[in-house]
Amino acid sequence: MSKNEQQRANLLQGTLDMLILRTLLYGPAHGHQIGKHIQRTTNDFLQMQHGSLYPALHRLEKRGWVTAKWETPPDRNREFKYYRLTGKGRKQLGIEEGQWKQMADAVARVMWPAAGQS
Amino acid sequence: MSWWRIGRREADLERELASDLEVEEEEQREGGLASEEASYAARRAFGNTALIREQTHEVWGWAAFDRFLQDLRFAFRQLTKNRRFTAVCVVTLALGIGANTAVFSVIDAALLKPLGFPDPNRIVQFVLVSHNGIAHGASIPDLRFWLDRADAVQDIAAYDFGQAEMGLTSGTPQQVHGIHVTSKYFRLFGVPLLLGRSFSAEEDRPGSPNAVVLSEGLWRNRFGGDAQIVGKPISLDQQPYTVVGVARASFRFEPQAQLWIPFRFNLNSTDELHSFGVAGRLKQGVTLAQANAQLDSDSDAARRRGTLPDPGWRFQVRPFRDAMTSDVRASLLVLQGAVILVLLIACANLANLLLIQTTIRKREFAIRAAIGAGRARLARQLLTEILLLFSLGCIAGIVLGLGGAHAVLAADPSDLPYIGTPGLAFGVDWRVLGFAAALSLLTAVVFGSLPALAVCGKGLENTLRESACRQSAGTRQRRTRSLIAMSEIALALVLLIGSALLIRTFIALNRVDPGLDDRNVVLMTMSLHGAQFNGTARLADMVRRGREQLAAIPGVEDSAATFSAPFASRMGLPFVSVSSRVPISGDGEWLAVSSGYLNVLKIPILRGRAFDEEDKAGAPGVVLVNAALAKRFWPEQNPLGKEILIGNGLGPKLADEPRRIIGVVGDVRDQDLSQEPEPTMIIPDAQMPDGLEQLQADFGPIWWLVRTRNAPQTFIPQISERLREVSAGRPVGTVRTMSQSLSRSMARQKFNMLLLSIFASVALLLAAIGVYGVIAHSVAQRTQEIGVRMALGADRKTVRNMILREALTTGTVGAASGLCAAFFLVRLLSGWLFGVSARDPAIFVAAPAFLLLVVFVAACFPAARAAHLDPARTLRAE
Repeated sequence: MSKNEQQRANLLQGTLDMLILRTLLYGPAHGHQIGKHIQRTTNDFLQMQHGSLYPALHRLEKRGWVTAKWETPPDRNREFKYYRLTGKGRKQLGIEEGQWKQMADAVARVMWPAAGQS
Repeated sequence: MSWWRIGRREADLERELASDLEVEEEEQREGGLASEEASYAARRAFGNTALIREQTHEVWGWAAFDRFLQDLRFAFRQLTKNRRFTAVCVVTLALGIGANTAVFSVIDAALLKPLGFPDPNRIVQFVLVSHNGIAHGASIPDLRFWLDRADAVQDIAAYDFGQAEMGLTSGTPQQVHGIHVTSKYFRLFGVPLLLGRSFSAEEDRPGSPNAVVLSEGLWRNRFGGDAQIVGKPISLDQQPYTVVGVARASFRFEPQAQLWIPFRFNLNSTDELHSFGVAGRLKQGVTLAQANAQLDSDSDAARRRGTLPDPGWRFQVRPFRDAMTSDVRASLLVLQGAVILVLLIACANLANLLLIQTTIRKREFAIRAAIGAGRARLARQLLTEILLLFSLGCIAGIVLGLGGAHAVLAADPSDLPYIGTPGLAFGVDWRVLGFAAALSLLTAVVFGSLPALAVCGKGLENTLRESACRQSAGTRQRRTRSLIAMSEIALALVLLIGSALLIRTFIALNRVDPGLDDRNVVLMTMSLHGAQFNGTARLADMVRRGREQLAAIPGVEDSAATFSAPFASRMGLPFVSVSSRVPISGDGEWLAVSSGYLNVLKIPILRGRAFDEEDKAGAPGVVLVNAALAKRFWPEQNPLGKEILIGNGLGPKLADEPRRIIGVVGDVRDQDLSQEPEPTMIIPDAQMPDGLEQLQADFGPIWWLVRTRNAPQTFIPQISERLREVSAGRPVGTVRTMSQSLSRSMARQKFNMLLLSIFASVALLLAAIGVYGVIAHSVAQRTQEIGVRMALGADRKTVRNMILREALTTGTVGAASGLCAAFFLVRLLSGWLFGVSARDPAIFVAAPAFLLLVVFVAACFPAARAAHLDPARTLRAE
């Protein structure tokens, strides 16, 4: 991996779960769609490494934050495995969002101290 | 993790990945790429599916299992690739673990298995102790003394030692093993009853009606499992006995009995014969020491008052288990030690083999480490290999152990208690199996994995740089291997010396002249228990008629009868001289025999004469003594004509008249071939005191000895028939030839010798394999060096001698340490030896020489291979 990619990978660990949960808040999606969505929304900054996406999805399923089901979308004639957010997942999303905000806050205060602080 | 869903989950993941890949492909195509390029682009964008699968498996928690399976498959392939190595390792493990398991299982059954009695650790046996021995036999006055002092011990019961053979005389006569007991016996040993009851206190009294308790086995086989048997009479030695109960087959005792009858002691008797055992249970809260202290003070008090039954002895209680197994314990423990040595040698072999393998595969591990395997990963894979190898060896060892243990049973060393008891199910001793397995596993892990893992550190680069042919092990490892080989050789030598000593003992025993001629003599027992042959007169009459009948059989040369046959139990009695000025007293073995005894056994008369027709009941008392007695008590004089009184002071039952010594017979070793003959007195059976006859008939069978012209076995049916007629239906019991009795007396020595020799052979084999392995590997490592030597002018012989010298050096150092160890350890064997001293110089020279020869032969093959190396090839090879 190049240096940039390595940095990005480290950033993604731990927040990938949160991003997936957030994506599913919009509605059910299958793995490929989730990956493409995140890529598009971040303007290709977070490139989807399938190697981490699928394990992450299964991890979330194992923890009961999402459920998966094979369904046929109305506009296609083949099945996809759609993931849905569960109630627990929604709650977890809230928790992780809160934690992320707290962390971002703390980091910002160190990096860019407001006037009057050291 | 539900394993049965593995397949489904895998399929599901595959499907998911496939469908998403298709979508990706579609998008690529929509982006304008041709379909084939689109699919490649899709795959590139998708990434490494194998990695995706792996990481998902990780999430599911299968990764460890996956890796284990992979390791297992690889380990299996490795093992089948190096077939010879695998085979040798498995065999080594099997021998080490199997031998230990077998021996310890036998020992377990004999010694360590808890006695199946209730509260067995509180059961004690009453013994008499003097400064030169322990006597397990008690007399009736002893029993009364103990019964009167019930403070520390309860449920005191007496039981006889089981030589009595009784005859079931209704219907087909059958000889059975019966023992006499007192009523408390059943409670003390917790005899479980199937039917009826055990003896009551009334049935202990003399004159009470005949009662008998049957064993379940006898009840089923002989009486057809009759559910109404309680209360019915059976005919035992031609007397009616009422069955009062049936004991379950699960009860085991030494001696094993088929029926029990009560002693019916007269507790006021002053009979001094010590002929039965007494046991009891310590009361709650009383320790062995307390009980013994109590007995000591009681004995002292009684001694002062003059009412102690056995003044010269001390009364003690000992744990029951000890009393039963004490004489066997020492020998079993020595065998235990020997088999542990075998285990150690096996482990040493294993260590060496693994070390060698490691060296060979060092390069492989270095490459693996270089392409990214972490230390943990390598260790895991190595351990899987070792575990697989170990499991194979362990299974082989268990099979060998079970088979070996059964073989030991079949060999039937008849004086190991509980062994060979029909129906005794003994199992493999799992604790010992665990110990042997653990030790082998530890060895395997330490010597198999650690050196390999050492490669992963600093040595990695060097290892990779070294050429494949010049894999050298480093001096430290080579020295370790040599050291291990030397220890193997040392241990093997110890076992070899031990086995050689026992072999010589056995040979010496076989050469001992027993003083009698054992060829062409048949022995048969017959139980005379009961009133019909009570009294010397009736006995002597029956014997006389029997001998007449037997003499009529063509081919029978002579016959005799006695209660004290060679290699059967023997009585000992004290005697005092009557006629000499200086009173002489002593103890001697005592026999009462019919005429013909000396002739049947061809025992020589050294002085005087044998018994003749005149020496019958009512005639002046006569006695024959053996040379040992004559030498000990009348060393310078002629004993003929001297008078002695036998059984003096033993009570009215044994009252005898003074007897004149009429002859001296040759010494006979007819109890233990390795012991010096004891002073012996022989009296004619017609002159036996009634009390003694009754005692002997009650507690043992009579033995018929018949000398035939040849082929003694062929006469057995005729002889038994005539004897049955003469005894009015008494069955004939044990039948053997005299030669068989003689071999049986050496059975234990033979057993020990065979076992130790097996161990020594196994040890030698393992040591030879070990030496071969080390030398062969050393040669394989040094092919280049040898090539250089040869190129520089060394010829084949020099190379060969170099290798052999190396082997012999290892062998000599090993043998030297083995000799030192053996020097100290043979002391443990001194109790077993006969005819050879523990530090016999011949053996101490021959054994190491033989061992070095074996080492030499083992080293010859690799040495020859080294000598035939082609220097041109080895120098060029890389």
